[in-house]
Amino acid sequence: MAEVARQRPRSAAASLGPFPVRVQSAPVHVAVIVIALLWMMPTIGLLVSSFRPPAMVGQTGWWTAFQPPFAFTLQNYERVLTANNMGQSFVNSLFVAIPSTVIPILIAAFAAYAFAWMDFPGRNALFLVVVGLLVVPLQMTLIPVLRVFTALGLTGTFLGIWLAHAGYGLPLAIYLLRNFFGGLPREMFEAAYIDGASPLVVFFRLVLPTSVPGLAALGIFQFLWVWNDLLIALVYLGGSPSVAPMTVTVSNLVNSLGQNWQLLTAAAFVSMVLPLIVFFSLQQYFVRGLLAGSVKG
Amino acid sequence: MRTTYVRVIASAAALAVFLGACAPQAQRGPLGQIGGTVNVLATWGGAEQESFLAMVQPFEEQTGVQVEYEGTRDLNAVLTARAQGGNPPDVAGVPGPGPMAELARAGHLVDLSTVLDQDAMKAEYAEDWLKMGEVDGKQVAIFIKSALKGLVWYNPNTFNAAGYQAPKTWDEMITLSQRIAGTGTAPWCIGLESGAASGWPGTDWLENIVLRQSGPDVYDRWHQGEIRWTSPEIRKAWETWGQIVATDGMVLGGRQSILATAFGDAATPMFGSPPGCYLHQQGNFITTFYTDAVPGLRPGQDFTFFGFPEIDSNYRETVEVAGDLFGMFRDTPQARALMTYLTSPEAQQIWVGRGGALSPNKRVPQSAYPDDLSRQMAEIITGSGTFRFDASDLMPEAMNSAFVSGVLDYVNNPSNLDGILASLDRVQADAYRR
Repeated sequence: MAEVARQRPRSAAASLGPFPVRVQSAPVHVAVIVIALLWMMPTIGLLVSSFRPPAMVGQTGWWTAFQPPFAFTLQNYERVLTANNMGQSFVNSLFVAIPSTVIPILIAAFAAYAFAWMDFPGRNALFLVVVGLLVVPLQMTLIPVLRVFTALGLTGTFLGIWLAHAGYGLPLAIYLLRNFFGGLPREMFEAAYIDGASPLVVFFRLVLPTSVPGLAALGIFQFLWVWNDLLIALVYLGGSPSVAPMTVTVSNLVNSLGQNWQLLTAAAFVSMVLPLIVFFSLQQYFVRGLLAGSVKG
Repeated sequence: MRTTYVRVIASAAALAVFLGACAPQAQRGPLGQIGGTVNVLATWGGAEQESFLAMVQPFEEQTGVQVEYEGTRDLNAVLTARAQGGNPPDVAGVPGPGPMAELARAGHLVDLSTVLDQDAMKAEYAEDWLKMGEVDGKQVAIFIKSALKGLVWYNPNTFNAAGYQAPKTWDEMITLSQRIAGTGTAPWCIGLESGAASGWPGTDWLENIVLRQSGPDVYDRWHQGEIRWTSPEIRKAWETWGQIVATDGMVLGGRQSILATAFGDAATPMFGSPPGCYLHQQGNFITTFYTDAVPGLRPGQDFTFFGFPEIDSNYRETVEVAGDLFGMFRDTPQARALMTYLTSPEAQQIWVGRGGALSPNKRVPQSAYPDDLSRQMAEIITGSGTFRFDASDLMPEAMNSAFVSGVLDYVNNPSNLDGILASLDRVQADAYRR
């Protein structure tokens, strides 16, 4: 991404003589397309398989679907969409994922600002602790946290899982945002303080707007992580129909010995729709270099 | 006196089930209106989940208790975490006898002798079935669904047409296999691939061989870690299996194909024309894989089975089984009512009738089964034989996973049997230490 963004001004300037540039960048484009295709191959296979009849998926490869008899079906999607509780669990997933994305990013932004631009005793030691938390495997925390939740009556509630996801997401969020904020130019802050801005004003009016690419990237990470999570939901939330997120409902489409796995191909795309919408709607923030020009002139 | 009482209750419950639709309030049976909810955690998904929900529906109507079912295929991890974290489900499927013992000793499982009518249980369940749910003499779990293992499946259309006959003994089966191999078709279809558990169909082979060759006592001492893997009995079992799996021409596709083929797809060539193989060893649950892979197959006509052949005539009546054990983690009136209901023949015959399940309860009528083939299996499972639970599931986790990977190693390189057994011995030395 960064590479593309950096190259853009140069190619724009050179576009007066487009031919040599196009030839020059052709190998790069070819390489990018080949790599992208290779990378997407399993997903393409999955997509094709999801439209094939179950018996044929088991017998022939997905690439054979493009030969006669062109057997395609919507049966898998039909069964996934009409499965027990799928609608409710889609709403549940949203109800879990949105707060679990907003809460940690909000807290992490405050914390990261303090770590990056405020001087207080023990700042580095505290930051080290946060970085240290990155390497704690979350599986280790399941039982102790569950005990605390049980004592507080938070098991099986959305509040509990919001807190859990916030806790698991915070170390990486703080770490990423601190580095992002740390890269903001000092002059910008000095200018703001000279103009009489308080730290809070600087945070809301300067830091947040200039950090939208970082926040968006983190938002996508955290959203995907929460959206795709199965383990934490099963342990803290449980899979009872009123609270079960989509991952739980989707995994229950498959029998205990793995039968009906072909439904997972369709389920994968159904559950992918929303993350794709999130990604494409936030994607522009990756490319747009908001920082450019913030201190120039 | 007591038994008559039980019988009255049982028939009242049956009546309540049958009359439930017309007069839910009239017939209370033993389970009155309680209300509330009970949450259940088990490993079932898909069609199994639907069958379980169908099974508890009359219970919900009778008692007003709402059953909240949660399913996960990673039952062991989720259940252990939730039990230790103080948030267990009310009632749960126990992931197997090994984890059951751990959960029971940690005090997570309620003693069922205070929940279930002991006399009724003894009358309805064979002793071996009850024993498999006991830990340190206490009934902590009970089977609500069972599976029969070590059946040899064949397609009677092609099998009979070729003039073959179901063998009674292992030697007859090897002779038959050689005869089939002589015609240029592989006699066996075997597939060991099953994700992280790959190799388990091979453990079933070995367990059935040990059971038939050296008997239930050796079998018990083996899974309890009291005899070594390098001992003559166990080594002999591997070598016996080697007559099929390590011999060229005996298995479709050879050893690499055994390793790479998913267990559920392995037998599909058996229904091809011409057939790719004639025989397939697997538990009763494999039939649903057959009908999924080749829609339209009719049980009994297009596939049927013979029992694992006899090796030593002293151990003819021993059968390897598996199944779903249920335990109670919270002592609530709703959980008690549900456990009582799930063990009843009325409940179990619902799932049995939907297919894909066998009931360990002797009172489930034969007529509840959908076809003759499952009736035949039900007869074995409620019969007078000796039952032994799948040994690999009785072993400690570390031993079990070494066993399944040992199976894969052996198929990959049968000449390394000494090395494989020696390394299983080393795992055994550690795995059984508490």
